[in-house]
Amino acid sequence: MKAEETILRLKEAFPDIGDDLKSPSPLRVFTPFLEPKRFEEVLIYAKDKLNYYRGLHIVGTDEGENLGFTYLVSNADGVILAIREIVPKSNPHIRSMSDIYPAMLMHERELVDLFGAEIEGLPEGPSYPLPDGWPKGQYPMRKEWNPKYFNKMTMTYEPPEEKATDTATAANDNKDNAAKTAADEKSTAGGGASK
Amino acid sequence: METVLSIIKILFFPGLLFLLVAAMLAEYIDRKACAHMQNRIGPPWYQPLADVLKLLGKKTIIPKNAGKALFRALPSVSFAAVATAFLSIPVWGSHAVVEFEGDIVVILYLLTIPTVCLFLAGWDSHDVYASMGSFRTLTQMFAYEVPLFMVLLTPALIAGTWSVSGILLYYSENPLYTLINIPAFIIALIISQGKLERPPFDAPEAETEIVGGALVEYSGRYLAIFRMAADSELIVVVSLLAALFLPFITGIAWIDFILYIVKILALILILAVLKASMARIRMDQMLHFCWWVLTPIAAVEIIVILIVNGGIAL
Amino acid sequence: MSEGLTIPIGPQHPSLKEPVSFLITLDGEVVKKAVIELGYNHRGLEKACESRTYIQDLYIIERVCGICSHAHSYAYCRCVEELAGLQTPRRAEYIRGIVGELERLHSHLLWLGVAGHEIGFDTLFMYTWRDRERVLDLLAEIGGNRVNYGINTIGGVRRDLDENICQHILDVMDGLEEQIKYYAELANTEATLIARLAGIGILTRDDVIKYGAVGPVARAAGIMDDVRIVEPYGVFTEIKVNGVTDDHADVYGRTVVRIKEMLESIRLIRLMVKEMPDGPISVRAPRRIPTGEIIIRVEAPRGEDVHYLRSNGTDKPDRVRVRAPSEANWHGMKHMLEGFHFADVPIIIAAIDPCYSCTDRAIMLRSDKGDTVTDWESLRRTGIERYKKMGIDPSKIRMRTSGV
Repeated sequence: MKAEETILRLKEAFPDIGDDLKSPSPLRVFTPFLEPKRFEEVLIYAKDKLNYYRGLHIVGTDEGENLGFTYLVSNADGVILAIREIVPKSNPHIRSMSDIYPAMLMHERELVDLFGAEIEGLPEGPSYPLPDGWPKGQYPMRKEWNPKYFNKMTMTYEPPEEKATDTATAANDNKDNAAKTAADEKSTAGGGASK
Repeated sequence: METVLSIIKILFFPGLLFLLVAAMLAEYIDRKACAHMQNRIGPPWYQPLADVLKLLGKKTIIPKNAGKALFRALPSVSFAAVATAFLSIPVWGSHAVVEFEGDIVVILYLLTIPTVCLFLAGWDSHDVYASMGSFRTLTQMFAYEVPLFMVLLTPALIAGTWSVSGILLYYSENPLYTLINIPAFIIALIISQGKLERPPFDAPEAETEIVGGALVEYSGRYLAIFRMAADSELIVVVSLLAALFLPFITGIAWIDFILYIVKILALILILAVLKASMARIRMDQMLHFCWWVLTPIAAVEIIVILIVNGGIAL
Repeated sequence: MSEGLTIPIGPQHPSLKEPVSFLITLDGEVVKKAVIELGYNHRGLEKACESRTYIQDLYIIERVCGICSHAHSYAYCRCVEELAGLQTPRRAEYIRGIVGELERLHSHLLWLGVAGHEIGFDTLFMYTWRDRERVLDLLAEIGGNRVNYGINTIGGVRRDLDENICQHILDVMDGLEEQIKYYAELANTEATLIARLAGIGILTRDDVIKYGAVGPVARAAGIMDDVRIVEPYGVFTEIKVNGVTDDHADVYGRTVVRIKEMLESIRLIRLMVKEMPDGPISVRAPRRIPTGEIIIRVEAPRGEDVHYLRSNGTDKPDRVRVRAPSEANWHGMKHMLEGFHFADVPIIIAAIDPCYSCTDRAIMLRSDKGDTVTDWESLRRTGIERYKKMGIDPSKIRMRTSGV
């Protein structure tokens, strides 16, 4: 099944998201950011009806106030379908897809450690990939987490102060930070965030 | 005078000192030959000695919950058994230092002691890798003992004597009978790799699985003695094979000694080729190989010998 | 032993070249249960990439893995180039192709050696690593270094191949082909080798699909997933690759696939050297990359390497995500181990050609003392002085220069 057919079938099944499907190159299809429930429907549809049998990867992204999780799946023709979901950072609760795609298990564990996702239905097992003594509640891949304030010897994260964090970073790299924040806002808006 | 001579024979030549020197040289030749076959340079000639001296100078660590006395005694027992077995094998001329009717059985018995010591050493170490190693050592012993004993006793059946020196003398007088023993000799060569826990039968000490097996917790001088025992075992086994299956002697003691050196060198090189040319086989494959391939061949060999023997007796 | 003996393999173990932890529960000699714990090599590379410029990131990405460094930097460069809309010169793509195939050769030779070592066949290990040295020497000649060749840059390659190097490559290929044919024959005839490799670590076609295995593991089960064929890129849009598959689905199948792939790589290298067009080797890349996101796949020696890159219009990426091939193969590992002998555990683990750095990715590039740049000559001088203090004079040792 080629990319065009995938888009057609997805449009049929999910008319509400149909217009936001993107295919930047012949073997790639991106969905917009979806809320978790809708995301699950699309993912199961892709696996059962469109025969996207291979779980490839999960990309976690920081979307400012939200967290975005992009699940990459692929099929026999080598098309990569990126199905994305978005959840607020304050309540990053999603359901595990590792029962549908066993290959996603390790990547989901990575989301837990690095982004602080709360994943329901994740089987018991060792955490991955952060070390055992890693401080609770510190999620290094979130943009606000700055490795400058992490003490490797004591394994503690000590930002100067709640407010000072922003100013310190801003002073340090004023221009870039501003650009980044702007881009964050843009991509969140452009991606068609739920909520 | 007789006593002094015996003591010299036992302690120096062809006893303990000769065994130690030969063991180290054997290890060197084995390693060097292997290295050449594997495109490496290999160690210098003094490497085995240097290894032993280094180990003797190292601190010895004994695991907390190991039986201390047993842990210390095992290496010496192992080495003593091997050294004792060597005394009954002819080296200088056609007579061994200690020979009596039935000494081949004693040699075989003494040669099992190092294996049992290895098992106990692993068991006593209270370590998962060591335990795995000792289980495998024991399993391997059950696999190779039967065919090994069968093939080592075939020469004795024809010769009609249970003394190594006696067998040597018999065959030197009737050299044609050695031809019958060739299948047994080949089996003995293969199986002695198992006896010596060398590749391809080195599963009990496979370092990529169980990190060296039973001796994982050993260090310092105890490890040095275990290593000496293992090297000496190589010499004892090849000497025994040389005496039983290559019984060509002239009767002149020093020429026989040179012949003996040539024979064991050739055997060590053959064992080195076996070591370098094969992958390590699994425990279950080893059992299958010993019980379903080697043992039947050895049994057929014995039956043939008994028939031939009957023919000779008639 | 009926309750089972639990044996730890790792984090430090002679059969593992990098830290990872396996807890193997045994029933006799048979593996009943395997628990795999990864993450010992997590270095935070992806986070490090976000605070550096695109060209700095190139050098971080190259260090994701010590073996398939070219595949990772190639994938990353393609991401940036496509986002910036750059058209790389044809000659650059050919050079990338040649280095990529040389990398495949050295990686597979390395694997064959490691596999030999894991099953106690050290002679094979010594032979293949000797041959691998010749490939590494070639790579050092091309890129200046044995593993992280640094040949890729955004918009092309950094070094050109001249006539001498091309001739040298062809000469080495002739010698290697002979050796690899010998290994192929060995894999067909050596009884102990076959006995140890055949029938273990089975991952059938269905399991491959279920666990998403890639590379030689998938191809040994009859699934053609070679990205060079599925989604041709760079030089492979012009030169067709003959894919290799096998139907053994076990460790032996993976060995056969890798050996055949080496022969195919040699064919490709010869063809690429012969057909390499003249022209520039790179185009100028902009500092700022326009906003966008992209997923790029490249066939690394171990399988499919997936890179995701999101740019935000600045000179630094917003998100870099690497899915190394080893990472995809870990999921089926538990399934591959259980039910086989403990003695087979090292070779089954080795059979996916695991790269733990790749899996965990991520060097906190931090220096408390401040960075100093040392050139090769002064590094050598410092070394010689240090050893002279210890009473050894290494200054007589000749330094190997490229082109020798």
